[in-house]
Amino acid sequence: MPLEILLGLVVGGIAGITLLLHLTGRSRLRLLTPETAQIQWLRHFPDDTVIDVTVAHDGHAALVRTETGAGLLWSFGADTVARHLLDFDRIDHPDGFEVQFHDFSTPRVLIHLDETECRHWQHLMEPA
Amino acid sequence: MTDHVSFPDAVQWAVPFFIAAILAEFLWIAVKGQGGRYETRDAVTSLIMGAGNIASGFLLGFIAYAFFMWLWQITPLNLGTSIPVIILCFVLDDLRYYWVHRFGHRIRWVWASHVNHHSSQHYNLTTALRQTWTYTFTFMMVVRAPLILLGFHPAMVLFVGGLNLIYQFWIHTEAIGKMPRWFEAVMNTPSHHRAHHGRNARYLDCNYAGVFIIWDKLFGTFVPEQEDDKVDYGLVHNIGTFNPLRVAFHEWVGIWKDATQPGLTLRQRLAYCFAPPGYSHDGSRDSSEQIKAKHLVRHPEDCGTPGFEQFDPQASATAPKRA
Repeated sequence: MPLEILLGLVVGGIAGITLLLHLTGRSRLRLLTPETAQIQWLRHFPDDTVIDVTVAHDGHAALVRTETGAGLLWSFGADTVARHLLDFDRIDHPDGFEVQFHDFSTPRVLIHLDETECRHWQHLMEPA
Repeated sequence: MTDHVSFPDAVQWAVPFFIAAILAEFLWIAVKGQGGRYETRDAVTSLIMGAGNIASGFLLGFIAYAFFMWLWQITPLNLGTSIPVIILCFVLDDLRYYWVHRFGHRIRWVWASHVNHHSSQHYNLTTALRQTWTYTFTFMMVVRAPLILLGFHPAMVLFVGGLNLIYQFWIHTEAIGKMPRWFEAVMNTPSHHRAHHGRNARYLDCNYAGVFIIWDKLFGTFVPEQEDDKVDYGLVHNIGTFNPLRVAFHEWVGIWKDATQPGLTLRQRLAYCFAPPGYSHDGSRDSSEQIKAKHLVRHPEDCGTPGFEQFDPQASATAPKRA
């Protein structure tokens, strides 16, 4: 196949499919409740025992306390990603805070929190 | 041997079909309200990985091709390009695919290339295109050497390899339940391959087949999809990025960080590169065997069911693998 046709197909195909998915509402982030957040945490870490779950007001992140320590679960497109809070930096951000994991495959996540939530989450994230 | 044999690049010619089939699957899901899920950034990442795979073929494909042509120069055998020979080449190349794919899940160096194909938590036709950019660096092209030394022309070997990949495109879907029984018995199908993409303990390291599922049945790695254990797609530790560069290279970076940490023996460094994924020198990570064993401790009722036939939960859950 001529290169210019292949290039056009690939670029046009990606652009067209992206537009179609976005315009039909496939870009929405997953919304979490305390129940779904716990289920999602145990999906990621089936060996854990969850103590309690605090879901952010925007429903896109949850702080999960387990018997082995705290962890963060957040919306990742239509799905979720979770990490134990073991090796990370918490950076203040106008919209809440950013958690930087020292992990090339999961570099950072921005957690949207209001002022009250921010203080509460900061307290929960401190090591026991 | 310097005869000129040429075959079309089947994968490039299939690109319009890929796009049309993705649109058809998307419409099917939208109309029926079932049969899979699409998410914009996930799909875009998969499509960019597919485009990058074609680009890496342009940029690095010459390395494998030069190696194959050198093998073709030294082999005294030439089976020609008749239809029966092409069919035989296709079947033998599928056996080659089975083993490369199995190595891709059991040797971290090869997993580093293949992991990106499993990095989506979705399973739709775009997932099929979430392909590696770094296959050349795995050196798995050597597994094709016997075919060329047996007298199959390199162009034919690459052609049937392309057909193999095209076959595997349509099985990346939840829109198709089960195929007829005879087909499920012989061929790789959406059902068999869904199980392969599962991060459930049951489905780890199973169903490596490309086209013919018989290889898994022959070599003891076949696990049928279970109605009471819905496949959970993705990685044991799902990644938190849609950035194609991070998707493509994250496991290579992981190998580098693990193998260069201070205080390890040479054996441990090598194990971080070549042992099965999940190896750690201090037992801090779980291999797929340990994940299965831990699952059986939580769910002893699954003992002896597909995917758990050979696991003793008591023995392997407590024994960290050390080099």
